[in-house]
Amino acid sequence: MVTSKNSAVRRASRLMKMGMGVAGSYLGYQVQRRFLDEEGARGRQDAFHRKQARKIRDELQDLKGPVMKLGQALSMQTHFLDPELIAELSSLQMQAPPMHPSLMRAQFKSALGKYPEDMFRSFDEKPFAAASLGQVHWAVTRKGEEVAVKIQYPAMREAIESDFRALRAAGVVARLTGHLKEAVISEVERGILEETDYLNEAKNIENFRLALAPLEFVRIAKVHHDLTSDQVLTMSRVPGRRLQEFLLTNPSQELRDKLGTGLTRLFFFQLFCVKALHADPHPGNYLFNEDGTIGLVDFGCVKYLKPEVIRCYAQFWSREWAHDPKLFREIIRVIFGPRVSPNEPRVRRCMNEIRRFYDTYHPLDKPPRTLDLADSKFMNALAKLAKVLLRNKFLSPEFLFLSRTESGMCNLLHILKSRVVTTQIAQEWMPSSKP
Amino acid sequence: MNGPKQKNSNKKPDPGPRPGRREKNKTQTKERILAAALQLFRENGLEGTTTREISRRAQIAEGTLFNYFKTKEDLALYFFQKETDDLIKWFRANKRLQKAPLPEKLFGVIHRQLEYIEPYEDFIGAVFCRSLQPTSSLSPLSFDSLELRLKYLRFIREILAEAEESGDIPRVGDLGAYAVGLFYLGIVAFWLQDGSRGKQKTLALLDRALTVGSHVLKKGNWAW
Repeated sequence: MVTSKNSAVRRASRLMKMGMGVAGSYLGYQVQRRFLDEEGARGRQDAFHRKQARKIRDELQDLKGPVMKLGQALSMQTHFLDPELIAELSSLQMQAPPMHPSLMRAQFKSALGKYPEDMFRSFDEKPFAAASLGQVHWAVTRKGEEVAVKIQYPAMREAIESDFRALRAAGVVARLTGHLKEAVISEVERGILEETDYLNEAKNIENFRLALAPLEFVRIAKVHHDLTSDQVLTMSRVPGRRLQEFLLTNPSQELRDKLGTGLTRLFFFQLFCVKALHADPHPGNYLFNEDGTIGLVDFGCVKYLKPEVIRCYAQFWSREWAHDPKLFREIIRVIFGPRVSPNEPRVRRCMNEIRRFYDTYHPLDKPPRTLDLADSKFMNALAKLAKVLLRNKFLSPEFLFLSRTESGMCNLLHILKSRVVTTQIAQEWMPSSKP
Repeated sequence: MNGPKQKNSNKKPDPGPRPGRREKNKTQTKERILAAALQLFRENGLEGTTTREISRRAQIAEGTLFNYFKTKEDLALYFFQKETDDLIKWFRANKRLQKAPLPEKLFGVIHRQLEYIEPYEDFIGAVFCRSLQPTSSLSPLSFDSLELRLKYLRFIREILAEAEESGDIPRVGDLGAYAVGLFYLGIVAFWLQDGSRGKQKTLALLDRALTVGSHVLKKGNWAW
């Protein structure tokens, strides 16, 4: 007889095996390195990372479901991981296996008490999009409105909790050495668990619909509460094409710039006015239209930010901190923690790197400079900045989410090949430096 | 005195209810008894319910009850007969599922069985425990349940044979049907102790086990 405990043990042992596999060969690599010159070691290090990246991806794909979501979350920390690992992990996006119609129907009934055909005029049993936590189907309500119905895989919450117990056990060494902070694991876990509650997502959609109303180019779905539960979410259909599909229409540079400017405005308006971020910068969560409007979908992972964090982040753009020691101390307190001295070398290194990056790419020139996001130099600099911050343990959980969304947005703009006047947009709604 | 007698002898013999109707009445009584029994099992459990209570609830004489079911276990067997008949009828009418891949077909079949027994969870739990006793007629080894078991196994065998024909799985023969039967018992055991909402852990386990199982069968290169 198979029990839930056994299934959790199997999943845990699989993760442990993966952890041990990586650690085992990493140890071998460390021993080898002692006897080899630096150049040879670098070659092997690249090969090692590629091999491990593939191994991790294969393991994650085998486990599917919740661990895949973790893989996806980690893959979005683009700058925190090696490029090889990111390349492998990014292939995990939107690849979760679909539920077959019988399982989908059983799960729908388990969540809403009736089968789809008893609640909708028509229901497409074939999903049009798969996400790692669920899949989305087109349907028509009894009143004749076209809707998207998101259905969650069964027992996802329990499976995620079990995975995180295993991750904590497997990553005990990394946690002891401070490379993997408990706060970071908890933050990712909280974010993922929050995504399992579709009622929470429904609330987020409504909050964002209201808050983003001033941005006339943004389109957000309407929730059908009578057809929604914590595991089934029914929303009106948002018009638009996914990024890759949209690019196939060969949009003009003017349209690319318009959409890029829209995305940037959306980011800063959310951050500085709504004080919350639609924090899943997955390209599949944005829908693009020829008239320059942008559809925003998937509000499972929304992060409400503390005002002090937003103030500190705004400082990166305004650079007032460079002349104001009080502001500088506040930034250090918020980002690094209250016990860290502003004179510590790692703090200096991080702040110098941040300043260099913003002065180079987002300068306070007049008239404001247009940034060409198609330039891969910018993306490399962003990745380099992130690497420096990681190496110096710059890992406040709030900034983790903030940087995740920012780099996700930059990635989108890079693929779109947009040209955007970033500093001018950032300053449009910039909060005051005073609390 | 003779008159009436004569009159009686002249009367055509009463043909009585037609055989079809008699059968129908018999089935109706059986259904009534089963419904009353299931109600009582839910209220007092399998062990706490007596045959006298069942006959009273079904509004029949206790002797009549014994004409239909000798023991409570016979009643349980009748319940499973109905369940199996319902399953086969449902599957034959479900054209979409018949065209689905094997893991989904088996998922659909087992899920339908779980849906059928869902309202009687306590009763099923008690029956499950009783079936572990070697002397019980509910035991998977008993002769009393043999006919029912064969019906179910043949039905599963039919489904597997189709998958064998199309090359989805290698030839597994009757053993495959037995394996699915045992798997179903395992799933019921898991389902009985599954405390998750809507028994979703059972859904997930069923789906994953069938997907992995058929994958292993397909890729395993079994030389049977």
